[in-house]
Amino acid sequence: MSSDTTTKNKITIEFDDQTPRWFMIASITWGVVAMLVGVICAFQLNFWQVNGHIFEMMTSWLPERFQFKSDGIEYLTFGRLRPLHTNAAIFAFVGNMMFCGIYYSTQRLCNARTFSDVLSKVHFWGWQLIIVGAALTLPAGLTRGKEYAELIWPLNIAVTVIWVIFALNFFLTLKVRREKSLYVALWFYIATIVTVAMLYIVNHLQIPTSLVHAYPVFGGVQDALVQWWYGHNAVAFFLTTPILGIMYYYLPKAANRPVYSYRLSIVHFWSLVFIYIWAGPHHLLHTALPKWLQLLGVFFSLMLWAPSWGGMINGLLTLRGAWDKLRTDPVIKFFVAAITFYGMSTFEGPLLSIRSVSALAHYTDWIVGHVHSGTLGWNGFMAAGMFYWLAPRLWGKPLYSKTLANFHFWIGLVGILLYVASLWFAGVIQGLMLNETDATGTRLVNEFVQTVDKIQWLMLFRAIGGTLYLTGFLLLVVNIYKTAKSGSPVNETREVFDDPDMKKDQMTWGAAFRNDPVTYTFWGIFFAILWIFLPPGASHMALVVTLVFAYLAVKRFRANTATWSKWYDDVSENYLPFTVLVIIAVALGGVIQIMPTITVNRAANVEDRLQTLYTPLELAGRDLYVSEGCYNCHSQMIRMLVPDVLRYGEYSRLGESIYDHPFQWGSKRTGPDLAREGGVRGNDWHYLHMLNPRAINAQSRMPNYPWLFQKEIDFKVLPGKIAVQQRIGVPYPIMTPDEIEQGAREQALAIAKTLVDAQVNIPVGKDEKEPATETEARDHLASKQIVSLIAYLQKLGSSEPVEEVEAAPTKPQGIMPGIPDELRVVKPEVAPETEEN
Amino acid sequence: MSQSDDSKNKIVIREHVFDGIEEYDQNLPNWWLFTFYIMIVYFIFAWVAYYQSPFHIQNDHEHLDSQLAAIEEKKNKELESMMATLNDDSLREMSLDAAHVAAGKAIFDTKCVACHGADLSATMSGLKLPGVPLNDAEWLYGGEPLNIMGTITNGSPDVTKGMIAWKSQLGPAEIAQVVAYILSYHKT
Repeated sequence: MSSDTTTKNKITIEFDDQTPRWFMIASITWGVVAMLVGVICAFQLNFWQVNGHIFEMMTSWLPERFQFKSDGIEYLTFGRLRPLHTNAAIFAFVGNMMFCGIYYSTQRLCNARTFSDVLSKVHFWGWQLIIVGAALTLPAGLTRGKEYAELIWPLNIAVTVIWVIFALNFFLTLKVRREKSLYVALWFYIATIVTVAMLYIVNHLQIPTSLVHAYPVFGGVQDALVQWWYGHNAVAFFLTTPILGIMYYYLPKAANRPVYSYRLSIVHFWSLVFIYIWAGPHHLLHTALPKWLQLLGVFFSLMLWAPSWGGMINGLLTLRGAWDKLRTDPVIKFFVAAITFYGMSTFEGPLLSIRSVSALAHYTDWIVGHVHSGTLGWNGFMAAGMFYWLAPRLWGKPLYSKTLANFHFWIGLVGILLYVASLWFAGVIQGLMLNETDATGTRLVNEFVQTVDKIQWLMLFRAIGGTLYLTGFLLLVVNIYKTAKSGSPVNETREVFDDPDMKKDQMTWGAAFRNDPVTYTFWGIFFAILWIFLPPGASHMALVVTLVFAYLAVKRFRANTATWSKWYDDVSENYLPFTVLVIIAVALGGVIQIMPTITVNRAANVEDRLQTLYTPLELAGRDLYVSEGCYNCHSQMIRMLVPDVLRYGEYSRLGESIYDHPFQWGSKRTGPDLAREGGVRGNDWHYLHMLNPRAINAQSRMPNYPWLFQKEIDFKVLPGKIAVQQRIGVPYPIMTPDEIEQGAREQALAIAKTLVDAQVNIPVGKDEKEPATETEARDHLASKQIVSLIAYLQKLGSSEPVEEVEAAPTKPQGIMPGIPDELRVVKPEVAPETEEN
Repeated sequence: MSQSDDSKNKIVIREHVFDGIEEYDQNLPNWWLFTFYIMIVYFIFAWVAYYQSPFHIQNDHEHLDSQLAAIEEKKNKELESMMATLNDDSLREMSLDAAHVAAGKAIFDTKCVACHGADLSATMSGLKLPGVPLNDAEWLYGGEPLNIMGTITNGSPDVTKGMIAWKSQLGPAEIAQVVAYILSYHKT
């Protein structure tokens, strides 16, 4: 807008284009790694030998001393590589791509160089060091055991510090901007930065037991809820909002067309950031999670459909008048395909969150396919389009080859389609097979492994699809490398008007918050929340009040459209009030959903079962289970569905995992559920199965775990671990370190004895001598990790019944609202309260 | 469309330009708005119906329990009628019937081989499997046909030291066939 020109000074600024250049190179490099690891993981699901045994097969023809002998290399198991793949794809590939896009566009949208070169450098190198740390620790089995939050606590702290540095650099750039108003891309960047910080910190609250291990402070259902609030919104605010921001900058630039609709930007931005947060519980449908949370998850997922599509519409319709470029410009091709995939997966998401669809699709490969249509289609193609557009601008030479870029597009597209389609089929086929009953309808007909066997060819197609996508990406590497090599790094300089009197960031807090739009929205949402939480009767009143507020708001808006619009224009000229509004919008959903569950006494959250505490040895085994990433393939949550109950036993109760830090409900069943695995089979069965799953079941795809039979249990760390468990609220009795260690050793000896009695085969390491007597064999086995894992597996599903008492109607059941899940029973703990009185 | 509608729908381009990017200010597409509204209205109705209506909607526990009770009842009836016709002699007779034995073998080969081995010797290529051999004269829990049937149905007395119960996976008729198959190794 034109204002008084007399105070303006024309100055020349140089943008910091070095930072986006570095981030771009980093993103491409890590992208190759992430996709390569993904392809390896995909092939492991077909061929367990990709685990390391393959090297033995490949060298078997060589002379003896060159032969490689291994049934499996621990660093290459699926359970350890899959977290590496997801973390690399999310934080390394998309993370660096996002930083590249943000650093480049923010400077131009602010007409200012990034606030601090030092902060940019610290951000870049810090982030890359974190990634290297992740790449070293995850294959080593150092993990937190929570999806997309696997990095160990020192790295968590590093991520938080670097994120704060990024935020500081970004917001200070906004502060010194020479552009009055914040463009919509910046809104999305702001939402990303504040929300990711909030999610990351809450989901990583933990107490360390050593430099590389910690227990999360939340356990059981609390942890499940916090994890999926985080996990779902990592998708929302790490893989979606920043990329939407990038779309809003790079798409109109590339198409050279105006954005379709400003008001659509406003409506879909605010509805998206507000609603997204609530949808997390749709990852936990039919589980022990209280029903009201499940339903909120479903309904908010459905309501999220339109806000998501708002982004797609604004993207695609921006191209009106520029569709001809689709034929000639690979950048536009990538963007259009990416936005289409965004639309598809944000339609599929609400669909999958419908409870009956989830009953079939959850835990199957359909979900994996859904995620990949988002990451490969939306994120990967947006990245490619952006890189192809940026490279000529960052290196000052046209793109090396358009043909190559077009080829990348087609090979990538075929790859995604093959990938996603085969996983649709695989998911539906496996889901149906798992539910199939015999003619009487009383018994399931398919063994779990049969369903895995059936979809093998589809899994192979998936792996091939992924390989094609990776091939396409390698073409991008060549293309960008050649472009960069033909040119040289350029930093854009620009003449800007420096106006110290620019009227930005001058809004008072009162003007920002004390006005009709904020007031009506606040009270409307306040009463809507009361409607959800109040008991029937009062809730109806609250609903009526909400609707009245909605009606009044519409009426006022109609009457005062200009004032309301003016307020919004003003707010978008003031980055701090804007940011605070975003924080409130994104924080609400989490507060409403999580607070009731984490603040109540856990004993009230148990339904009719209370988990039996793990013995020290079992705890050691559990840490091993987490460390090996067993949760990547095995769930521990029997859903309230007939086929689940018929296959695995009674459905899981809240109380049965209440002391699990972290929870291990899982999200994918590549193998069967293990919630009630304890006591079902003999110790020797588990022993043999872990040594070689195919000795038990020839069709099994599970890797061998030979190293568990070599590595020793670390008994010394157990007292420290138990102490931390006590601090996070697990009611262990007071035990001396000696008692803990002694108890663990005795239990190990007892299990080892059953194994020796069963005459199991004892693999011995090169430097170990074959145990000669039964006692020696027992002592040998009792020191090995496998024994602790067996102890844990045999404990799974063990609980004590909680005395049934009629819940006093005056006492809230802890996790509201409305009708509590009927079977949840309050443990009688009224006694102390009466004493106080 | 009336005149006033036209003026309302006029495409406005906003004055402000960001780094060369302009913005139209088009109206929100109606179909998009309605999608949004319908989902919000659905939320309100569904929530009220589930939590706040006087009509009791069957909750998940009740629903599941009634389904499971029906299955259990069916199973019990099936078992009763089957057990009425089964005894040691009839099972031995089945073991002489090639069709029953073949059906039993098919089940055995998918569910039992893992521990008892394809030849019932509880070994595979010389290695010991977790199960006990079924081709010898030694029986842990009784060798009469009905004893075997009972062991398969309910598992060993202490399942951590022995076999799981198969009744959730196999019907009595199928278990009888498996018994017939095992007995076919014990023809005297």
